Amino acid sequence: MKRRAITVLFKRNHISRESIQRLDLLLLTLETIDLNCSESLLNLSNNLNLNKVLPNKVTIWKLRNNNPMRKSFKNNKITIESFEALTKLAVEMSKALYPYIREILQSRDNIDKNPYSWNDFKKRFIELIYERLNINSMRVKKLIDPKGNDEILIKNLLTLALCSTDQGYQKLRTSLLNF
Amino acid sequence: MLQNQLIFNQSSVSLEIIGLPDYSNNENKSQISIISQWKLMIIDKPLIEGNIDHLKSIMGAFYSYANFLINNDNAFYESKFIDIKAENYFTHNVLLKSSKPNVKPLKIKIGNSVLSDIINCFDQFNSSIKVRKVNSVILDKHPKKGFLIFINKDKIFSILLPPLISLCSLFLISSTFIYLYNLSEDNDKKALINSKKSLQLHSIDSIKTLI
Repeated sequence: MKRRAITVLFKRNHISRESIQRLDLLLLTLETIDLNCSESLLNLSNNLNLNKVLPNKVTIWKLRNNNPMRKSFKNNKITIESFEALTKLAVEMSKALYPYIREILQSRDNIDKNPYSWNDFKKRFIELIYERLNINSMRVKKLIDPKGNDEILIKNLLTLALCSTDQGYQKLRTSLLNF
Repeated sequence: MLQNQLIFNQSSVSLEIIGLPDYSNNENKSQISIISQWKLMIIDKPLIEGNIDHLKSIMGAFYSYANFLINNDNAFYESKFIDIKAENYFTHNVLLKSSKPNVKPLKIKIGNSVLSDIINCFDQFNSSIKVRKVNSVILDKHPKKGFLIFINKDKIFSILLPPLISLCSLFLISSTFIYLYNLSEDNDKKALINSKKSLQLHSIDSIKTLI
């Protein structure tokens, strides 16, 4: 009872913009790898019994629009439940796509021998950003700068790779809510 | 007595655990509760092995390091047995220090792909029901950014340094001007007094001559 009271007292209800921004960027990274990601996300939400929180593609899209970097940014209220559901989807997707994520990371590690996967990933990521994000924003300009975006892309991929396990959800949730 | 063996694989990394079940707890024959030996095999890298303390230390190190990376912090870990440092954002230097005397430390360079494979292997090992847990994920020990944002030294310096420098420079420049102004004022005053005195003397002299 005492423990429950403490968890209720310290339960976080507010999701910062940085948190949703980072989560959306991770989902964008997954979308870069899986061309049919929106469909896969919906299927995953059905499989994980997240229908109540994420019943359709539009709900997922609306939640992701809380990212201030987006062209269609809208300050909708995002609940902790929907944020956690999106995080779960990101982790499950990264589990499914781990071989591809690893391949891209390895391609960047040995860029002299095998640059193809990395270059393809980078090209598609930039295309997606042009399509979805507000290019006038300074943060987005950093993301599309081909000389300076390597670090951000590697960090996103590595975060997904390190969280693609059974304990990954807990790790990613803690990390995102700390922002 | 035959020992049990469990292998956890992930692409370029495999973790082998050898040990015995705890029969005093009526455990299964296939269970491993007493780990006697472990081996961490990474393709193209030397074999890493040791006792249970070494495994605990290495797992703790890799988990802490991974958490620093996930949290976008400066990734760096140092302990008695192992140091992990980031050379750049795609290479990590692992320095393994032997507990035996006169054995040189082993330095291994790993990429992001191998690092994620190692963490995956450790996670498989941690979540396996056939082995007793060795090390839980050190997530709670990580400081919360939200609470400690104001105690971050770098941020404090970057926020406070520019106004401090500007205030100091303003104070220095203005104080020198005040000093110069005072000097000139003093000189003016002295000149005035001197001129007054000379005038007075002159007037006294002229009166004397008149008399």
